[in-house]
Amino acid sequence: MKPNPKDFRVDALSKLRGEARYIRDERILGLWHGLTVRSPHPRARIISIDFDDAFNWQNVTFVTAQDVPNNYVAMIEKDMPVLAEKIVNYVGEPVALIAAPSPELAMEAREHLHVQYKPLPFIDDPLQAEQSDIKLYGSNNVFKEIRIERGDLDEAEKTADKVVELEVRTGFQEHVYLEPQGMIAIPENNRIVVKGSLQCPYYVKNALNEIFKGLRDITVVHATTGGAFGGKEDFPSLLAAHAALLAYKSGHPVAIFYDRREDIQFTTKRHPSVSKNKVYVDAEGKLVGLDIEFYLDSGAYVTLSPVVLARAALTISGCYYIPNVRIVAKAVATNTVPSGAFRGFGGPQAIFTMEMIMEELAQKLKMDAHRVREINLIDEGQTTATGQVLKYSVSNKQTFYDVLERSNYQQKLNKYRQWNEPILERLKQGRYPKRHPDDVLKGIGLSVFLHGAGFTGGGENRIKGKLRIEINDNGQPVIYSAQTEMGQGQQTAFRKILADALAVDIEQILLADVNTDLVPNSGPTVASRSTMVVGSLITDIGQEMIKKFLEELKQEYGFPFEYRTGYFYGGDMVLPFRQVAQKHAGLIFEKEYRHPPFIKFDEQNWKGDAYPVYSWAAAVAETEVDPITFNIKVTRYYTTHEIGKAINYDQSIAQIQGGSLQGIGYAIYEKLERQNGHLNVHGFVDYIIPTTVDMPFMDIKILENPYPFGPFGAKGLGELPLVGAAPAVVSSLRMIFSLPINKIPVMPEDLFELAQILRKNGGQP
Amino acid sequence: MIVSFKVNGRQVDLDIDPRKRLLDVLHDDLQLISVKEGCGEGECGACTVLFDGQNVNSCLVPAFQADGHEIVTLEGLKKWPGFSTIERAYLEHGAVQCAYCLSGFVVSTVAYLKNQTEQTVNEDQVKYALAGNLCRCTGYTKIVEAVKDLAEHEKLKELFAEDWPYER
Repeated sequence: MKPNPKDFRVDALSKLRGEARYIRDERILGLWHGLTVRSPHPRARIISIDFDDAFNWQNVTFVTAQDVPNNYVAMIEKDMPVLAEKIVNYVGEPVALIAAPSPELAMEAREHLHVQYKPLPFIDDPLQAEQSDIKLYGSNNVFKEIRIERGDLDEAEKTADKVVELEVRTGFQEHVYLEPQGMIAIPENNRIVVKGSLQCPYYVKNALNEIFKGLRDITVVHATTGGAFGGKEDFPSLLAAHAALLAYKSGHPVAIFYDRREDIQFTTKRHPSVSKNKVYVDAEGKLVGLDIEFYLDSGAYVTLSPVVLARAALTISGCYYIPNVRIVAKAVATNTVPSGAFRGFGGPQAIFTMEMIMEELAQKLKMDAHRVREINLIDEGQTTATGQVLKYSVSNKQTFYDVLERSNYQQKLNKYRQWNEPILERLKQGRYPKRHPDDVLKGIGLSVFLHGAGFTGGGENRIKGKLRIEINDNGQPVIYSAQTEMGQGQQTAFRKILADALAVDIEQILLADVNTDLVPNSGPTVASRSTMVVGSLITDIGQEMIKKFLEELKQEYGFPFEYRTGYFYGGDMVLPFRQVAQKHAGLIFEKEYRHPPFIKFDEQNWKGDAYPVYSWAAAVAETEVDPITFNIKVTRYYTTHEIGKAINYDQSIAQIQGGSLQGIGYAIYEKLERQNGHLNVHGFVDYIIPTTVDMPFMDIKILENPYPFGPFGAKGLGELPLVGAAPAVVSSLRMIFSLPINKIPVMPEDLFELAQILRKNGGQP
Repeated sequence: MIVSFKVNGRQVDLDIDPRKRLLDVLHDDLQLISVKEGCGEGECGACTVLFDGQNVNSCLVPAFQADGHEIVTLEGLKKWPGFSTIERAYLEHGAVQCAYCLSGFVVSTVAYLKNQTEQTVNEDQVKYALAGNLCRCTGYTKIVEAVKDLAEHEKLKELFAEDWPYER
């Protein structure tokens, strides 16, 4: 379906014509090239860093820990050094930086810089971290522990008819933004200007302010960004620090552009998770208790792990009503590249865990997978594990029933079971499984998921995002925000929100370039918050603007005016918005965000409104598995998303399509493992993401159940589509084999093993 | 070494380092910024250009191999009257997001449309024609829909036959 022309993206034409300038397309006179010298060891003591006398170091600048004014990257904590000084804690940890007028000379210089290490024992299993004698953080290597408790598990144990236990695991995932990380730093008198591919200009500015405290002022400029998905949330602070240090020491503008290999191996990943789960149910399959011990493998430094952990812990039980809950969640340290932000931010791990619990229950209770979900779905007025009463825009059941109906789930489930029977029978008997070339196993599965919009807990009230809108000389409102376009359509959405609030054309609204000298800190572009949180400031200011102009007009003409569809009506006068606004050129409107006052969260005890509101979704995936090669193909993917209000309908569909495929990749294509402290991928040759040939037929529906405090009722969307795709796919595979699959990614070899179990045990695990 | 080739219809003679890739020469030396590096190993297609009318990954072509050949990048496609139709299809289908992959997709789209001879369009053909271009934002659906629409566009065939400004 083609979109309404009003929904065309404002950035589309310059991108289609190849004219948009990404950071690698900048031309800067006298630009030097920087590179990073990295640790080859997962953990080691740095003995010495020596500079070869045989090399002429005159034309080259190098930086080591000694050159860093304040050697830490300020995020939640200050534990991560800009450059390792005494100890390296992961393979690829930056130890030194080199810059030279050409990349070739910089590479030559690297050959003459010798770092001697004494390798040390290291941690590579998150489940061993707490007991390990090796201390990476505090006394027990736990970056953060969260306990969420509700009701009484002993009571649950007494009343339960059945107890089911299982372990669930999720793997690393790499963002694979198509544009690798890149940053340029330019020294200017007392200032360093940093420009790059990034999500959160003020994160970078704050980190550099601390490093160069009192030495240099910092300006951060956002370049056209070629995808991010969270990968350019926290990591650019480190990369910008590197580029800035080289610029500071050399006096030249310096670029650091990662190639794909460096990017994939040494930048943040999605946290792997491991959980031990115990679930109590009554005779009908209703959940009476849930006991979860949940670990996030967080890598060597804290980065954003405590908040990723919080979102995971708060999301796990979100879609179901469970009276007795204990969630103990820990972010633990390992000697691995730090895990960081990634679309979903703990949500995908949590939802996969919970959905596999539901799958396991269905199997143990001999119920259909959708039925056990159906009877436990949480609804409006019920309370979550933190005691939050769901009041606004609750659509858990609506999305669930909608997707089952649209996908014809029940009928297909019966049909595919019958279809698979003879093929499975042949597999069990060890016979050749195919009678016809199209004898493939057909699966259908589902998932139910949610995503809390905006920051977790009191985050929004702490950050107090500020927005400014100014009227320019032409009478056009210009939005000044720190929100960044990285492909998701933020520029179009913001202009459209204000255009709709003022009932004028989108061309009447302008957006300022994102530069920390110009725009206020409206908060980072993360957590599916831009549209809902910052967007609500836009509509608020829009209303304020009209009110202000109405007052001014009354003052000027002596009679009241009314504003309708872009015009001010008063007496026999009709004045277009722009004409009135032009008289007020230079006028500034500012607003700071606060949650509605009744949203309260206690961060000590993890009680209350974890998020002001949730977006809801459900998905059905259909798969085909070849019974000989066990190749997996997702053939159809249905999903229903309830997002309050689609600000740009077409691009909302686009977000769901892209996020869903990224989630399908997470389920069955994207495998990245740690071997002896090293990540075992090098690029797109061995890290496989879906191509056009792998895309399923997608059938997407958006429901709108407005949230009263979002712009036009909008809630968050960006992350949600990814969150529930993997469990739907795995649910379909479990449906085929009727055996537990409690980990992602699922590879053909895993299904081959299941087929071996079928063969040996006639289907019993 | 000196290499001579045609880029977007213009003859260029360059003295280049023989280790350079065609991608480096196009993006860095000739400032054709639509040619993007996404992986440097021929997997992602962001650096796709037409090499004698065929879509190739310019990161896998040593620059000297272009000697005597004809290269067309997205910048060159804009000189062809059919380009606005292609651009419009991508725009109308909402197939643009971060767009780092996009010029590669557009070049592959043109290569497919120009070289396809089948009477009927099927979706699998389109998917295979674009399988060498990776995208992480869109999930491909809107891109494939746009290209399917274009493949059914009668006027484009004429524009290829009569107004294609390049030799191949």
